[in-house]
Amino acid sequence: MSETTSSPEADDLTETNGEATTGSNGDGHKNRRRATAQSMAASQKEISVSEFFAKNRHLLGFDNPRKALLTTVKEAVDNALDACEEAGILPEIWVHIERVGEDRFKVGVQDNGPGIVRAQIPLIFGKLLYGSKFHRMRMSRGQQGIGISAAGMYGMLTTGKPVKIMSKVSKRSDAHYYELQIDTKRNRPDILNGKGEGVVIEPNDKGRRNTEKHGIEWVEIDHGTRVTIELEARYQRGRGSVDEYLEQTAMANPHVMVHYTDPDGSVWDRPRVTDTLPPEPREIKPHPYGVELGRLVGMLKETKAPTIGQFLIQSFSRVSPSIARKICEGAKLGVRTTPAKCERQEADAIYKSIQTAKIPAPATDCLVPIGEDLILKGLHQIIPGEFYAAATRPPSVYRGNPFLIEVGLAFGGTSPAQRISIDGLKEMLDASDARTLRQFLSMTFDGIGADAADKIIAASEMRPRVSPGKLEKEEIVKLHEAMQNVNLNDGQSMSILRYANRVPLQFQAAACAITQTVMGTNWRSYGLSQSRGSLPSGPVTLMVHMASVWVPFTSESKEAVASYPEIQKELRLALQAVGRKLAMFLRKRLKVKHEGQRRAIFLRYLGEVATAVHAINGTDREQLLERLMKVAQKRTASADAQFDDRGRPLEPTEKDFGGSVLIVDPASEPLEK
Amino acid sequence: MAKKSDTKPKLKPRDTETIEQIVSLANGIVTAAGGGRDLSIDIPTRSLANVRYNKTRKILEMGKGTNSRQLFNLSQAKSYMQTILVAQGASRLIGEGKSNSIRGLYYTLKHKIAPTSENTFEDQAECDPIIEDLEVILGSLREELHLFADNRGGMVGNIILEDSGDEINCGRMGSGGYAVPSIVEPEVIRFKECTAKFVLHVEKGTVWQRFNEDKFWRNNNCILTHGAGQPPRGVRRMLYRLHNELKLPIYCLLDNDPWGYYIYSVIKQGSINLAYESQRMAIPEARFLGLRSSDYERCALSDSVQIALNDTDRKRAKQIAGYPWFAHKKSWQKEIDKMLDNGFKLEVEALISKDISYVTEEYTPQRLKDQDWLD
Ligand SMILES: Nc1ncnc2c1ncn2[C@@H]1O[C@H](COP(=O)(O)OP(=O)(O)OP(=O)(O)O)[C@@H](O)[C@H]1O
Ligand SMILES: [Mg+2]
Repeated sequence: MSETTSSPEADDLTETNGEATTGSNGDGHKNRRRATAQSMAASQKEISVSEFFAKNRHLLGFDNPRKALLTTVKEAVDNALDACEEAGILPEIWVHIERVGEDRFKVGVQDNGPGIVRAQIPLIFGKLLYGSKFHRMRMSRGQQGIGISAAGMYGMLTTGKPVKIMSKVSKRSDAHYYELQIDTKRNRPDILNGKGEGVVIEPNDKGRRNTEKHGIEWVEIDHGTRVTIELEARYQRGRGSVDEYLEQTAMANPHVMVHYTDPDGSVWDRPRVTDTLPPEPREIKPHPYGVELGRLVGMLKETKAPTIGQFLIQSFSRVSPSIARKICEGAKLGVRTTPAKCERQEADAIYKSIQTAKIPAPATDCLVPIGEDLILKGLHQIIPGEFYAAATRPPSVYRGNPFLIEVGLAFGGTSPAQRISIDGLKEMLDASDARTLRQFLSMTFDGIGADAADKIIAASEMRPRVSPGKLEKEEIVKLHEAMQNVNLNDGQSMSILRYANRVPLQFQAAACAITQTVMGTNWRSYGLSQSRGSLPSGPVTLMVHMASVWVPFTSESKEAVASYPEIQKELRLALQAVGRKLAMFLRKRLKVKHEGQRRAIFLRYLGEVATAVHAINGTDREQLLERLMKVAQKRTASADAQFDDRGRPLEPTEKDFGGSVLIVDPASEPLEK
Repeated sequence: MAKKSDTKPKLKPRDTETIEQIVSLANGIVTAAGGGRDLSIDIPTRSLANVRYNKTRKILEMGKGTNSRQLFNLSQAKSYMQTILVAQGASRLIGEGKSNSIRGLYYTLKHKIAPTSENTFEDQAECDPIIEDLEVILGSLREELHLFADNRGGMVGNIILEDSGDEINCGRMGSGGYAVPSIVEPEVIRFKECTAKFVLHVEKGTVWQRFNEDKFWRNNNCILTHGAGQPPRGVRRMLYRLHNELKLPIYCLLDNDPWGYYIYSVIKQGSINLAYESQRMAIPEARFLGLRSSDYERCALSDSVQIALNDTDRKRAKQIAGYPWFAHKKSWQKEIDKMLDNGFKLEVEALISKDISYVTEEYTPQRLKDQDWLD
């Protein structure tokens, strides 16, 4: 395929064509010559992937300094978790963000993973599209082989500083330290330290001295990897922040321990919720239905199988000899044809035949869901609420790729805006680039829509268009007070935490199949208010997780899930499952409320009755009243059943919902989270 | 548990009885509450479902049906409380030997229920039916509860009475007439002298005024009464006594509409609501003089007096036609059918529009002379 571009004959050919072109332009009504094929040929050359992504950094999630910081942390942490899990190690992660200049940060991420062998380090961190996950069908966070090198490249482009990697594979082995730059023209690593060889750090005192000498940042552990990237960035808390990413990651990964040092030097340690590693996802071969024609052509070229029949059986899952034969028959090819002899035409025939062949659905035991139990626990840890429900759907298949959907729902509790401290608020106001207070509120806090923002502003008696950075101290106090006191439940819209293979998706919500399906679900029938085609309102947080051997993202920055009908259907079913449970809870709560109101009405009249009876026959009023009250309690027993002996509401039990729910008495929760 | 009576006036036997009944109602509450039982009062049902038409006596009687009013029932809790309040109010009146108007009682019992802003009674319309309930619960007459209604309805004519010791000559009552009191029992009102030969009862005060101004009662030697719409118990009891004690026939001149029919029915057989009072109020011999459905044509009235029947009217008319005491009377069925046929109703005032004194000088005397009435 590459022959045409580089062969000398091709040049000749262009020459002749060029003549012809010049001739046809000879009527001379324009003096200035446009580009000729020759002149164009001079600038026609291979574009290196790194050059391409350096120019199109938004595709990788580096559209602005704030997002760049997040993406960098995210790529490093995702890799760390992937590596640990693949090696069967309970992940422990250190994230350190340090401010080194006005708009410069140093991001260090270390894991206790298996480490990386010396030879691979430069390629992994210094070459785009180099990775272990692309060619296999296995559920993992990373899948493209771009992530971490792209982050390194962005850092290098914006600060000129190299990416620093320290990695160690076992207690007694040497560690290796590299400082790398990416040669974007050639998409390959340049090793800057140790005379182009990197530095070896021995597992002894000498090594320790060396670590110090080279200024290597390293938390002393037996094995693991640390990557440090310096980059131009902006740090700001709130929606779409690093903090949010880490919090949400912790939620969906209850087996992970995180130590986070933020740019202000505060340390945030997030212990594990569970000590069990999720089961290892099985790797599977691609299913024939999922393969695209281009990929099939490539596979035919690469395969070592002697015959097409063998090729089909070996390269794909669920292809038995008889199915292979059927596919070949459909393509009008012999089973024994040599794959290498297959040209485009044959590949096309095989591709078409696959689509019509009857092939069993792929095995789905390759997917590892978070599980309803851990979803409930995780949600409860992060979101204070009264009711939690979870549903993990059985695996399904889109385009030959197994996937599954799970959903968690938290209802009630305070909105994030009401949990913030006054200092935190001050800080956010200072850092915000929102132009108006109204914009600040709805941009910074999840669940605050325009309505809620207006309510808060009205309550704080401020002008909606005032600039958030220009607030006086007393005004901030007032604003904070208003945020605590305004009832945000009505104006609050549902917030959605989206996950793909346990990685939080923080951007491009509108483009994501998850958001679209949530909006397309009728939540009114589950007791929430919702206007057509928008998110329902109410104090509800949804967590939606898609697990798949290949998550179909809408772009390389892995921010939104593409809308395949099969995926949307599963999403819908999972949402309905938790929706029904929510409806049950709301109904029961309403009933308790009604019973309570019923009792209140009875109680109201009892005093009158007791007084009148006393006036008629001289009965002791108080004693009669007490007895009447007792009867009233008995008669409104279902309101009573909801109170324990200390008079606290017990609410319906989890069993009532057929499991997979968590009910929390708000009064028994500690106020500080 | 009986109420301690310190310096209470000596009670009449009937009063003692009533108080005892109220006390036993209260005692029932104490016992039920003590036993953790449901609190409910059985109230004889005051609705069509629970009235019987006694064919021999030709009056409505209350059946044996009861409704239980429960304290621990959302829709009944308040009226339960109100019932006990009214009972307490009545027991106090009786105990103190005083009487009060139903309006007065309503004001005595009305207050805010602490700590809410809800009132025990929102208005008198809420209190009046509760009093009627208590009457049937205890089997007592309203006056036995020491309660009376406002004077309503008027009377003039050739009769002299004694009202609480004062002599009232109904032939000298000017244009206003004698206001019929709520309680007209022999203890209060005695008939002293009567030359009148019959009673003409009209529906409304305005029509009554026309008859009084035209001195119809003097010209025709009768008594003229009205009940300001549905006659109150005082007026009905007065008619009953005039009929039964003085043997005066009662003629009714009412509107030609379902409401007029119903008023006649109440005077004649008793009301559904107060069926327990029928035996001392219903006058099966009362006669219906008009207005008749045929009067529009017969009297050649102008079409401006027609009032179109609406759906409720039609429904009511059919209901009334089905009352057992009308069901077998051909003349009544024809009368009601004719009205439905006409598609309109007529008020007595329609006759006045023909000529101011047409109704007093021609229509009524003619009817009486011809003995042209419905029964
Ligand atoms: N911390 C680490 N420990 C061990 N191996 C790692 C680590 N980080 C990266 N790797 C290896 O380097 C490869 C490349 O990582 P990179 O992030 O560039 O791509 P990826 O994770 O495969 O895909 P994606 O572009 O979707 O992130 C990974 O496939 C993995 O094999
Ligand atoms: Mg990665």
